[in-house]
Amino acid sequence: MTELVSIPGHWDFDYTYFAGEAASRFFAELRNTRVMGATCPDCRRVLVPARSFCDACFQRTTDWVEVGPEGTLETFTIITAAFPGLPEPPIVMAYVTLDGADTALVNLVLGLDLSDIGAAAAGLQRQPRVRVQYGPEPQGRITDFAFVLA
Amino acid sequence: MTRPAIYVEGAALEISFADGRRNLQELIFDTVRAAVDDSGQPMHEIDSVVLAAHDLVDGRSLSSMVTSPAAGAYLRDEIRYGDDGAGALAAAVTRLEAGHARRSIVAAWGRSSEHSPDQFSRSLFEPFRSRPLGLDEFVLSAMRAQLCLSAGDGAGPARERASLRRIDSARANPRALRGGGFRSAPHFPLDDADLPLWADVTAAVVLSTEPSPIRVAGVGQSSEPYNFGDRDLRTITSLKTAAGRAAADAGFGADTADVAEVDGLTLIDEALGLEAIGFAAPGTGLRTLAGDGRANPSGGGASGYSPPSMGLVRVVESVLQLRGTAGSVQQRSVRRAVATGGSVVAGQTQTVVLLEAV
Repeated sequence: MTELVSIPGHWDFDYTYFAGEAASRFFAELRNTRVMGATCPDCRRVLVPARSFCDACFQRTTDWVEVGPEGTLETFTIITAAFPGLPEPPIVMAYVTLDGADTALVNLVLGLDLSDIGAAAAGLQRQPRVRVQYGPEPQGRITDFAFVLA
Repeated sequence: MTRPAIYVEGAALEISFADGRRNLQELIFDTVRAAVDDSGQPMHEIDSVVLAAHDLVDGRSLSSMVTSPAAGAYLRDEIRYGDDGAGALAAAVTRLEAGHARRSIVAAWGRSSEHSPDQFSRSLFEPFRSRPLGLDEFVLSAMRAQLCLSAGDGAGPARERASLRRIDSARANPRALRGGGFRSAPHFPLDDADLPLWADVTAAVVLSTEPSPIRVAGVGQSSEPYNFGDRDLRTITSLKTAAGRAAADAGFGADTADVAEVDGLTLIDEALGLEAIGFAAPGTGLRTLAGDGRANPSGGGASGYSPPSMGLVRVVESVLQLRGTAGSVQQRSVRRAVATGGSVVAGQTQTVVLLEAV
């Protein structure tokens, strides 16, 4: 009988992603412990994270405004599988609409008692107020901050 | 049932390199916004978007989820064509002809400064018989060139003149890359001047069922076997067949075009492309490129190159020629133009677009 052939495969590609001026400014403001949004001149929404154009109106954004630091947790999930670079599970990931923003921002929620997942989830289902908390040395990355209960 | 005529209302392209001020979505937005502005239409008059994008080029899996809003897809009917931009235009034409939409954006892009074109090229080949040998696109283009040059089609002065004219055209083209870019290492018998200048390329058009001065007169597509050993590399049969289909659609052929914008990975691919569509007689592609200003007046791949955008770039250059707004590479009295776009793996799938000023 013919031996059936299979061979291992592994793809390894190199990329250099350019963040662009708008995202670079957003990240620079994180170093200053400020979360920024950008305003669409047509729909007047404050889009967070700040960006250079509104894809709904297909227009360039104009004014930048600081939002937060507090906001409302809109929805969440509790992650129980490990992922490289993230804290040990369980981890809470949430969408939060910061005060003054019209769109939600995703990040981790820290400082919760996750010894009882059900109890933790019940508390988060009440869409609590949260605030932005920065790490000790912001680097200008999305991982510079997380949310904690206000 | 009569098919509606399809027109090009707006067109734009940009060729840059490693512009750190803009991310990929912003590059796309700028070009699509420019095409929409050029069309004179408000966004609410556009109901469809067809994209040409490739995940490995973009470095974003299911790339169009990230990028389609930058191409105007918000709450619009959107599909992605995972191949060359001229093919995406063909898909948009059929959707408009079928009555699925009235007006469509077609956008294509590739950002060579963010990825490695050589890595991308090697990943295209099947994993058992080709990839272990380290094949890349230039290996096939080099083999194609060897067939062409050994037949005496353009060896010597014609090749040199074609190469010089291509570089001169790229220098004259106001849309060509100005600074930056890079070239891959050439395989024999190719040399540096034969190769494309890798760049960041975005192109967009707005197609409409409402009359405007540029009509899409005919479109043809064709595909060859993947196995390149099964193909006649010198003839590019798929391109020849696609040109025949476009001619049957339009009622006139590429041989009557006043301008030809032919996509090809290398100078010799461009020359053989001109022959395949009938713009140049067999064996005269390089001589045509050397001496006929109507053949790739844009400078072709020397002006900046990145798949899968190049077929749509050729369409935009043709539209500008038909409008008389191509700048210092403008040809005289252009009433008809032909543009082509080829897919990866030695141009396996080809699209030919015939355009006409009405």
